Amino acid sequence: MTLLREGAGPWCKGCGHPLVLRALDRALAGIDPAELVVVTDIGCVGLADAQLATPHTIHTTHGRSTAFATGISLADAVLGAGRLKTVVLIGDGGATIGINHLVNAALLNPDVTVVVHDNFLFGMTGGQNSAFTPEGFVTATTPGGAFVPPLDLARVLLAARAPFVARTAGGDRELPELLARAVAHPGFAVVEVLELCTAYATRWNELTGARLRGLAEEAGYELGVLRDEPRPTFAEAYRAHAPAPAGDDAPAAAARLAHELEEPVRLVLAGTAGERVQSAATALARAALACGLQATQKNDNPVTQGTGFSLSELILSPEPIGYTGIERPDAVLVVSAEGARELAATGLLARVDGGTFVLADESVELPPLEAAVERLPLRDTAGPKGAALAAVEAWLERDGRIPAGALSA
Amino acid sequence: MVAVAAPELVSGNRLTALAALSAGCRFFAGYPITPSSEIYRTMMEELPRRGGLAVSAPDEISAIAACVGASLAGFPAMTATSGPGFALMVETVQYAVMTETPLVVALVQRLGPSTGGATQGGQGDVLLAEFAGSGGYTIPVFAPSTAAECWRLTRAAFAWAERLRTPVVLLSDKEVGMTLETVDTAALEGDPVPPRAGFGAGRVVRTGSAHDREWRLRKPNPEVVEVLAELRGKVEAAADELALVDADLEEGADTLVVSYGVSARAAREACDRVRARGRRVSFLAPKTLFPVAERALAAALAGTARVVVVEENATGLYAGVLAGRLGGRELVRVNGVGAMIPPARIEEAIA
Repeated sequence: MTLLREGAGPWCKGCGHPLVLRALDRALAGIDPAELVVVTDIGCVGLADAQLATPHTIHTTHGRSTAFATGISLADAVLGAGRLKTVVLIGDGGATIGINHLVNAALLNPDVTVVVHDNFLFGMTGGQNSAFTPEGFVTATTPGGAFVPPLDLARVLLAARAPFVARTAGGDRELPELLARAVAHPGFAVVEVLELCTAYATRWNELTGARLRGLAEEAGYELGVLRDEPRPTFAEAYRAHAPAPAGDDAPAAAARLAHELEEPVRLVLAGTAGERVQSAATALARAALACGLQATQKNDNPVTQGTGFSLSELILSPEPIGYTGIERPDAVLVVSAEGARELAATGLLARVDGGTFVLADESVELPPLEAAVERLPLRDTAGPKGAALAAVEAWLERDGRIPAGALSA
Repeated sequence: MVAVAAPELVSGNRLTALAALSAGCRFFAGYPITPSSEIYRTMMEELPRRGGLAVSAPDEISAIAACVGASLAGFPAMTATSGPGFALMVETVQYAVMTETPLVVALVQRLGPSTGGATQGGQGDVLLAEFAGSGGYTIPVFAPSTAAECWRLTRAAFAWAERLRTPVVLLSDKEVGMTLETVDTAALEGDPVPPRAGFGAGRVVRTGSAHDREWRLRKPNPEVVEVLAELRGKVEAAADELALVDADLEEGADTLVVSYGVSARAAREACDRVRARGRRVSFLAPKTLFPVAERALAAALAGTARVVVVEENATGLYAGVLAGRLGGRELVRVNGVGAMIPPARIEEAIA
């Protein structure tokens, strides 16, 4: 029972693609077409989907066919019935631009078989060289012969731990059996078939079907099945590492504490990354929540995670909060020199006025401010990682509108 | 003391992820990029615990292509990224348009162009999200201003992705995605997206090439052109229903303030302040940026002579979209990059 429509297909006389497609048709003979997805790439080989009458076909973007196929196969294997066989048809051009998808599929090990139709050049676009073009090979874009060595895809994918890797030359009478073996393999399998482009490759080079094996030898390519060692598929490994199911997220009931905050308070906490500045700010925001207040916490830090400044802008309010920035701070708590430098750089210190409460560690230098500055030995008494929370506690105590006990609520 | 269900201190990114789960998202493929990474991490933690599949991708193209594959297989899918990652995804977003594949992309903006500012907010990707594709095919774009809206609009994104068989972009930014705020999470709701058949129900054929109704690759003939027109038409036909806005219009206002995303919070505050001084002003915050909420805009414009459009980018990208729809009214743009636009600047522009 063939999967193919009648007719020769849209390829040039002598082209390798239809030969591989017919071999694949024989290889897939035992598979229910309803459980077969053929994913085609861009290029002449991508026209194969139109020749397939019965399987699902997905004609994708250039080079990305294996990435789409990976999604299809993983979703089916983990979330669905797990019966799909997914086969990718791609050329050497597609394998060049999309090599990362082949490498990733080899690592993940979905049940995907990739058939690379390697005719050493881009056929559809006029015979340009690909990463697979052998040295000395004449193409539209290597008119004097290619002088960059070709990519040995099989070795790349062996290094990416592909469990099934094979390479053969067009005209291999056992190609159907080889492809059937690849498809039957439970995980990722790749078969690279060296073949002829009669539009360009044979026109510009001394190349015949019989010469393909010699070309492979010159390129240092091994032929045959280079690896057939099944290992756990992605779906098997995913299930083996499945976490415990999520329980019901019943909303936690909490006792609401009293507060005396009648208008928004805007507070900035500035210190050094890695010294629990943002977590101290979160503790204060949660304390406000425990009192039935609204809170926003806007954090800022450099691109790096554990060095430089760390800044939190907090708004605590009895009403919903709009703008989450701070035009004029009601309180500024500075626990390190790095925090002070960033506050100055952002212009926040310039917006401090006589009504702003400013608390700073004894070690911090601040420019002249309109507000009085209270100094405390926060870093010395609470340690660098406790200074921010100590500053928050000190502010709560002096402000008095939110109970200090709310911090541990 | 009264015992109450406690509101949570939660980020917009986390609520985006949780909303996706509650909508029925079954597949997530991610690649890290600030400021969207919390969505990726949350999905990697939560999806496996709920019978779903979350997977790390080696790049953004792989991530979105895997999502399209999973969606074709019948499973609602999402990925999350920022501007540089979305730029890489554009080809596959177009593929999802052409193949009518439901998909949600959370685009959490940062300062651009290029690598820009990873930990700095911005609203510079509004046109990238909508117009990066060829041909003028409308991709629904929702823009939340708050963490709670991240929930609500992510739910809307999944519902519309399935209903219209299209990619949908949830366009937030660093300040909406990463700022923690009070949300009564027990009050968040929405119906789950109904299950969809994948490869189990009949033959599936798809192509990103121009095609006829049987998905056969064809040179543009009248049927192919009709298929392309239907891609556009199905979204346009739903435009009124897609249009979500927050409108607060005032009788006799000569000025309409329009803003979206993070900037809408400051714009709203500016409107409240000028009203407290007796200045009449109308306010419109589109939650659906595309397709443009034409009726709501027309209703808000009625009686006004000036429109103030507030957004955190260099030149007023969405203002440019609205410019042709203002019927000769004066357009005032309030823009800036590198920091949120403060309410005081908007007050000045309202004047």
